[in-house]
Amino acid sequence: MTFEKVLTKYQDIPEYTGTIDEYIAHGGYRALPKALRELQPAEVIEQVKRSGLRGRGGAGFPCGVKWGFIPKDSPKPKYLVCNCDESEPGTFKDRMLIEEDPHQLIEGMIISSYAIGSRLAFLYCRGEFVYGARVLERAIREATLRGYLGKNILGSGFDLDIHLHRGAGAYICGEETGLLESLEGKRGQPRPKPPFPAISGLYRSPTVVNNVETLCNVPHIVLRGADWYIGIGPPKSTGPRLFSVSGHVERPGNYELPMSITLRELIFEHAGGVKNGRRLKAVIPGGSSAPVLTEQHLDVGMDFESLAAAGSMSGSGGVIVMDDTVCMVRVGEIVSRFYHHESCGQCTQCREGTAWLHKVLRRIEHGQGRKEDLDVLLDMCDNMKGKTICVLSDAAAMPIESYLKYFREEFEAHVRERACPFEGKGAF
Amino acid sequence: MPTLKIDGVEVTVPTPMSILEVARTLGIEVPHYCYHPGLSVVGQCRLCQVEVERMPKLATACNTMVADGMVVWTHSPKVEKARRAVMEFYLLNHPLDCPVCDKGGECPLQDFTLKYGPGESRFAEEKVQRVKHAVLGPHIVFDAERCILCTRCVRFCHEVPQTGELAVFSRGDRSEITLFPGKVLDNAYSGNVIDLCPVGALTSRQYRFQSRPWDLVRHTDSVCPLCSNGCNVILDVRHRQRGEELLRIRPRENQAVNRWWMCDEGRFTFGYFSDSARLRVPTWREGHPTDAAMAHSPLGPRPVAMGFDDLLLRLARGIRRIVEADGPEAVGCVASSRLANEELFLIRRFFRDILGTPHLDFRVRPVQFQASDASEDGLLRRTDKTANRRGARDLGILPGAGGLDVAGMLAAAANGRLKALFLFEEDLVREYPDRPVREALGRLEILVVSNLLPNETSGLAHVVLPALGFAEKEGSFTNFQGRIQKIHRALTPHVASRSLPEVLRDLARDIGRDLGPIEPARVWEAIGEAPGPYQGIAWKDIGPLGLLPEESREPRAKNKEP
Amino acid sequence: MISNETKQRCDGLARRYPEKRSALIPMLHAVQAEVGHLSPEAIEWVAAALGLSAADVMSVASFYDMFNLERVGKHMIYVCHNLSCSLLGVERLIRHLENRLGIRMGETTPDGLITLKRMECLAACGTAPAIQIDGNFYEQVTPQILDDLLDRLRDGRLHAMGKGPDGMSGR
Repeated sequence: MTFEKVLTKYQDIPEYTGTIDEYIAHGGYRALPKALRELQPAEVIEQVKRSGLRGRGGAGFPCGVKWGFIPKDSPKPKYLVCNCDESEPGTFKDRMLIEEDPHQLIEGMIISSYAIGSRLAFLYCRGEFVYGARVLERAIREATLRGYLGKNILGSGFDLDIHLHRGAGAYICGEETGLLESLEGKRGQPRPKPPFPAISGLYRSPTVVNNVETLCNVPHIVLRGADWYIGIGPPKSTGPRLFSVSGHVERPGNYELPMSITLRELIFEHAGGVKNGRRLKAVIPGGSSAPVLTEQHLDVGMDFESLAAAGSMSGSGGVIVMDDTVCMVRVGEIVSRFYHHESCGQCTQCREGTAWLHKVLRRIEHGQGRKEDLDVLLDMCDNMKGKTICVLSDAAAMPIESYLKYFREEFEAHVRERACPFEGKGAF
Repeated sequence: MPTLKIDGVEVTVPTPMSILEVARTLGIEVPHYCYHPGLSVVGQCRLCQVEVERMPKLATACNTMVADGMVVWTHSPKVEKARRAVMEFYLLNHPLDCPVCDKGGECPLQDFTLKYGPGESRFAEEKVQRVKHAVLGPHIVFDAERCILCTRCVRFCHEVPQTGELAVFSRGDRSEITLFPGKVLDNAYSGNVIDLCPVGALTSRQYRFQSRPWDLVRHTDSVCPLCSNGCNVILDVRHRQRGEELLRIRPRENQAVNRWWMCDEGRFTFGYFSDSARLRVPTWREGHPTDAAMAHSPLGPRPVAMGFDDLLLRLARGIRRIVEADGPEAVGCVASSRLANEELFLIRRFFRDILGTPHLDFRVRPVQFQASDASEDGLLRRTDKTANRRGARDLGILPGAGGLDVAGMLAAAANGRLKALFLFEEDLVREYPDRPVREALGRLEILVVSNLLPNETSGLAHVVLPALGFAEKEGSFTNFQGRIQKIHRALTPHVASRSLPEVLRDLARDIGRDLGPIEPARVWEAIGEAPGPYQGIAWKDIGPLGLLPEESREPRAKNKEP
Repeated sequence: MISNETKQRCDGLARRYPEKRSALIPMLHAVQAEVGHLSPEAIEWVAAALGLSAADVMSVASFYDMFNLERVGKHMIYVCHNLSCSLLGVERLIRHLENRLGIRMGETTPDGLITLKRMECLAACGTAPAIQIDGNFYEQVTPQILDDLLDRLRDGRLHAMGKGPDGMSGR
């Protein structure tokens, strides 16, 4: 099945480098004038709402609905913030979008700012994207020189500036209120919600935080209409989705597909199947925070609802494939090590729990597990869920629960044999 | 005005409040660490979670505002399970320091673990190790392993003195509260973090290893005497078997005066109570005082310890002789605004009414001549370093018609017009370094000095009376706002001592007069009768949070407990 | 200690935000780029520039992985050790790196040239294993590629940022 690319159409253009001239030459900056001249801000919101666009960062919240929460009559300034803090393990689509076609994002940001009434937008780019940040700076400059940013854009009376803001290395700054704290010059510690950013966000003003890929969809929706967009993919998961496929596949990379695709199709038809002809053992479908799936789940649709029903989640769209040389206890150790490192430390369950989880898994992996450990792990995970300011704690717990659910005998073998069965061999 | 149900009790709330605040007013315990009414709300300790019907997750009581129709359960099974889990997480890396930790016995971590936490540990890993007993500043020691990262101390330093010395470094389980390298925790309010810290991470250097809370048997309400703010305090006294001693002063909450705080000076300055140099017995010295003054050492007859009865008889004779020879105007009195209202009232009665001298004053330092006392730091400390300037004013400790102020009395002493001077707790030699105070005082026939510790002025006196400190008296101070606040006896005065009212009563009797009743309640009958700012006030009207005289004129709805 | 150029840059940063505290992290980047790491003096300078306490600034700086509060080498090598990179053998790469340079991850070579740091996911999973040298991506790295990069680093022949064989983007 060939799918008409939307977000990555530029890849079909030979020697495309994403400059503003190239972007315009291939149809860019046509949605913006349409929005400014033909649509009221409320109408843009309506279109995006109707399109069913859901957040592509991990939460999957309906974008237009989020925009609708911005109070129309607040005297405070409104801010649009683009979340380019892509840090979910297994995810590398936003990096591609900003490095290769930055103006798609810029155009999306301008239209979105217009829709919510923002005059100042921020592009929070993770600090490690040094090259990406330069590309974005250049794009913002180009757009400003061309009159797509600044005062009275295209004679519409709408003003907008975009400030690029670099982060400095913290996964938790991908959480929207952690991002706002970081943008305000503080530790990236998420805020209790309510109040939500739409009411009290950046500088306590109404704010919308949207993922890069989400915003890249906006120009296409405005240009081609909500009906066209709804035609892509299943009804509750509309529009094209970028799946980052990595791990033990022949052709790792970003794949733009509708969410009607199945996991099997994604892995075996598009990404070339499991590397070296090995057997698929496990696959994480939505970034490391997503519970693991196995062979029995391969026919699940890659839409939000189906993945949730299968006990996992769509998350960031980061698909990590693991073959039968992989020790799942080691996977648990690596994944828990990540959350241990990234916990901001505010909430007791997360600060202590992510560390405890990691230490126990490391001990089991090194052959010093005790039989009580597995049930303690499960209880620990249960105690870490649903009781913290943000969901990093849940994100740390749920994957481990899933590894124990589907691969418990592997953990038990580690404890029983006092060694890792894959020691000396295996993927790691 | 939302009405909600909390643990089955219906309550209507007049102003926007969080669930935790409502629970507190109802006396329902919702355990918590990071919340403190005087600091910003962060909702991060996760201990205060409660169940709210129709909410899918547990709610943090500290930052969830009550709404009409809300139904809250603070001890449901779901809550108890969550609490138990949080307590387990707290204890994972907590060191087993209880035997050597000052907080033991008054520790919310111990208490909540006992009530809500697990009885055994499931943690089989290595605990995170951190610095122990690190001196952060002149008053505070830090045991980082005990810290539960509630951040109360960090928020306090940022929000109250606004000095921001403490901050959380790093993140996750590597988070640690420390100082910037080379800096010191030395703001004037640093001691408050000791009270704020829910565990033994921040402790008092002064109090370290001094006692266990169960040995502190007396917790006496009082008022700090070191400036005119009158911060409300609690005096913690160790019991007699281990040696009765004042070991600790803590602030007592009074929203109108000091909120929840006190400054370090007031908190840590009380060692003088057990100072071995303290004046304990009255002394009498014959002979020319000038010799002793000039030589700066007691040449001539040395002061002799004497019983109060004997000494007061002799003193009475001496005063009577002077009054008969040169009139009451030959006697003067400087009565410090460190003294309590009752003492000052009786002094006035003795000197102005009974003896009949107009020379009475409390104003020694320039700041005391101003109508009102200014703030020193915009927080609690005030520029007048005595507790009762307002009381001294309100009770008329001022010269009468034709009376001399302090400078005048010194001048009159110098030229021989003033023959006898009573100095209650003011060291005039030190207060006036560039005036010939020694010479002036040296010319007096009778110099009576009352003080806690010996000083230059007392060294010149004929009669030295050992004074009692604020923790050894019942009485009241009036703070700069005009609020009358009670002090209570926390320490047993020395066996040989006699309170100032007792001394004045006995002295009056020895000159053939009656001072009247001296117990505070009876003194206030007299104060309340006289015209003036305190008219109509009775001792019982002054509650634990003090009394502003204008409040007493209105129906007695004030003076409630918090 | 801080050059005029950096000072001016920091001024500009403080001015471009509605609340100047937002300039803190960009300023820390600028100062670190010049001084090499965020020494106590550097932190105090930034604190004074923004009217914050030094403890506050250090608290923020110490939260983020990219800020070095200790001295580091002239060149910084980040190696992602997260799941996809681990599945594609990054631990073998790390062992190779440690053996070649004679130091462990987290340490700096005795000559002060290179600091090694384990990092979390760098968003290069499709081209794992991925590393960064001084902010430049190098992906699908093998021990041989690594040796070549290190040789060129030592000789000063490592290209500046760009695309092509030296700095591929994940695609």
